[in-house]
Amino acid sequence: MTDSVNPPRTLHVARPAKPVAATVGPVIMFTAGGVRFAVEANEVQEIRDGDERNAIHKLKGPVPVDFAQQLGLGPGKLERYVVLKPGECALGVTQVERMTSLPKVVPLPGLFRGAERQWYRGLLLLENEVVPLVRAAYWRKPPIAAQEAGSER
Amino acid sequence: MNDTARFVTFPLGAECYALDSIQVKELVMPSRVYSFPHTMPALEGVLVRNGAVIPVCDLRSSFGQGKERNVYVIALCNYQGRTETVAFPVSGDCKLVQGERSDAPEKVTFVAGLLRTGGRTLPLLDLDGIVAHCIQSGLAFAGEAKQ
Repeated sequence: MTDSVNPPRTLHVARPAKPVAATVGPVIMFTAGGVRFAVEANEVQEIRDGDERNAIHKLKGPVPVDFAQQLGLGPGKLERYVVLKPGECALGVTQVERMTSLPKVVPLPGLFRGAERQWYRGLLLLENEVVPLVRAAYWRKPPIAAQEAGSER
Repeated sequence: MNDTARFVTFPLGAECYALDSIQVKELVMPSRVYSFPHTMPALEGVLVRNGAVIPVCDLRSSFGQGKERNVYVIALCNYQGRTETVAFPVSGDCKLVQGERSDAPEKVTFVAGLLRTGGRTLPLLDLDGIVAHCIQSGLAFAGEAKQ
């Protein structure tokens, strides 16, 4: 016997896995390289304008990192700097959009086995959107290349 | 060993393949595949189903699938000893059939056995094997790109 399954219908052969979602504290949403990201607000020391870029370069302070470029998105338009605690690294991003509270976060699926496991703590499930949650513990130490660039300033 | 059970059949490239229905969780038409920066070429993003995120594995590199994507098969696979859920696009016309499973007469890449149903024989997809191949290829590619 053959039963055709019409594409719009859903065939529930097994019960879907229950969502394993947790909530995190307030997160700051930002864009880099045309993609939206989030970082936990309590991991952020301050947010600086692009106008303060010269100040970041001249004074001893956080090493600026082009976040989009680090993720392989190409050189980003650096309009804002998200300084991560304890202030050693500033993520250069295009726009800081908003802060939102208690979003649901799910772990990165196990088949993602590359560097993204270090880049992200998980994925935020927002309304009509999935946003990577940046793993601040990884990014708070500036990458080697950025450190070398910073030492030349 | 032969055993009778229900199977889901679907087109993949030029062939029609089957998976044991126990392995298949859902056939869906998602409104959107969400993408974000990552280093795995074989994974094109994630689907959101019932509050869970499911990686979408593009099997076209192995099967030469056309661009048309009507349905995503969400199924369980075993990768490095862990059960993972994965979605892969097929070009529709999925069926739920009864049939008899048997071992393949010879070892064929990404074929886990044969399904006899309705007077024809279909290959059973070795989803564990193809997913492992895609992931390992992606890791190797990412490693080369890093060097």
